[in-house]
Amino acid sequence: MLRDRQTILLLFFMPVALIFFMSLALEGVWTDKLTGRKIQLVIENKSNLPKANLLVEKIKSNKMVQLLDRPQGLDNEQIFEDGKTHAVVVIPRGFDEGDKPVEIYFNPVMDAGYKIAARSLITSATVEVIMGIENLDTVIAGLIAEKAKENRAFPTPLQQTVPAYAIFAMFFIAIPMSIGFLKEKQNGTLQRLFTYPINTNLVVLGKIAPYYLINIIQFVLMLLVGVYLMSHIITYPFHLGGHPWQMLPVTLVVAAATTGFGVLVAALARTPEQSSTLAATGAILMGAFGGIMVPHVVMPQLMKQMAMISPMYWAHQAYLDIFLRDASFMSILPKLIVLLAFALICFYLAGRRIKWM
Amino acid sequence: MKALEISTITFCYDKATECALQSFSLSVEEGQIQAMLGPNGAGKTTLMRIITGQLMVKSGEVAVYGRRMPDQTSLGSIGYAPQPISLYPTLTARENLKFFGTMAGMADGKIGERAEAVLAETGLVSYALKYVNTYSGGMLRRLNLAVALLHEPKLLLLDEPTVGVDPQSRNHIYQTLARLNESGVTILLSTHIMEEAQRLCSRVTLVDQGKDIFSGEMNKIDNLEKFFLEKTGRGLRDE
Repeated sequence: MLRDRQTILLLFFMPVALIFFMSLALEGVWTDKLTGRKIQLVIENKSNLPKANLLVEKIKSNKMVQLLDRPQGLDNEQIFEDGKTHAVVVIPRGFDEGDKPVEIYFNPVMDAGYKIAARSLITSATVEVIMGIENLDTVIAGLIAEKAKENRAFPTPLQQTVPAYAIFAMFFIAIPMSIGFLKEKQNGTLQRLFTYPINTNLVVLGKIAPYYLINIIQFVLMLLVGVYLMSHIITYPFHLGGHPWQMLPVTLVVAAATTGFGVLVAALARTPEQSSTLAATGAILMGAFGGIMVPHVVMPQLMKQMAMISPMYWAHQAYLDIFLRDASFMSILPKLIVLLAFALICFYLAGRRIKWM
Repeated sequence: MKALEISTITFCYDKATECALQSFSLSVEEGQIQAMLGPNGAGKTTLMRIITGQLMVKSGEVAVYGRRMPDQTSLGSIGYAPQPISLYPTLTARENLKFFGTMAGMADGKIGERAEAVLAETGLVSYALKYVNTYSGGMLRRLNLAVALLHEPKLLLLDEPTVGVDPQSRNHIYQTLARLNESGVTILLSTHIMEEAQRLCSRVTLVDQGKDIFSGEMNKIDNLEKFFLEKTGRGLRDE
């Protein structure tokens, strides 16, 4: 297999590319969801009277706001099109007299959360100006106390993508593995091996072992890419959690599940073409369901429950337990048992189906 | 002594309407080259797979040098060259031999020594380091045979060893088999080439529809092809 360069490329460079692009893509989601990016506003002060000027100052001084100048000659629609402005705030003539309200034009594709935040911010500032309150937040702080637990659910982009696409690529081992088995079955080398005085289980084990080893190397390499390469590209750090050694048993069990899947594909398929289609489709579906392509945490409730049918979900959650939740080995164990059961079922079904002999 | 003794074995594949072998018996004396002839689908390959332990019979008995099969020790005394070219195409000839030698339980030193011997025997020494996927049909057949000879088997099972090769390679294989037989190796040769069977074999067994329909001395048959057609019929065997 080492002489098959295309397969090596598929198994090692495909996940690196996915980790790179998906981490960059998720960086924005992470920023929006947890850190928050500044609300970008264009303010048009048509009044220029004291209250209107004070309102502009109050909005400008808010740390969540980034004021932008309206590019010359562009109307609202045009400046929203380039995606850099969340909203345009117009303070009309007559505002100081209480004749006309502040107008807010929102970017039509603005995230709903940002819209609420922007409206709330401008409302507070306007109320402060109109009611003569110095700082509304100080008043509200006496009425509402914010409490937040430590985030143990939403992974950073690298915590999500490194294990996700390492697992995804590990399941892709089913393609070369099943093709290899089928080719050997078709050209008779596998049958020939069974004519030697050696235990047949050992022969099969000997065929699986290299792929198992490749899986482990895949994970280690992806981890190194995450720690030493991607962490310099992505803004957010890649925390490995308090017990990174737990990655060892998890990886060993995940590799058992992936090789089990490979053997099952080899048993079900009749031709190498069938096996590559079956393995790729299976891996992509498991990835789509299992929180690999779309992070599990952002899935709707029904999808979150459906994700549990995918072994990739259990594998990914086991890694997230380590990275994100500092979980003890005992709390990871049930996930490992599910993965082991998947592996055993695959090997059992393959054993019943395969007519090697 | 009998190198191979098969007594009334019956074997049926799953979901098959008819059994591939029915009460089949065969006996091969040590030191003989015995031909096994039969139309396509007669059961010859199935028989070889049973002897080599790939298929298990539910009734009857197979014994190699007096030991009832399946028996790990006896498997080591069998050399099997299957009809498909059963080699690793992305390995060189020497790498293939090393791999199969290891499977046969041979020591590294012994593998090296025997690999040189079988490569010389099959005329492949100068191609030993070339990848098998660059070999011609005749070279593949000879290497397929070389792998079977590597561990110095006492009983050689050959399933159509000259199919698809040119007369030169075929002649080389015939000479190799004759030399092996002279050195005491017993050979069971399955073939469709009547000339090959008549040239090499002292005994012949005809197989048809899973049954042994004839066994006897080769020198008592004048025209083997005519005899074969008389025994098995002239109808096409497309199924």
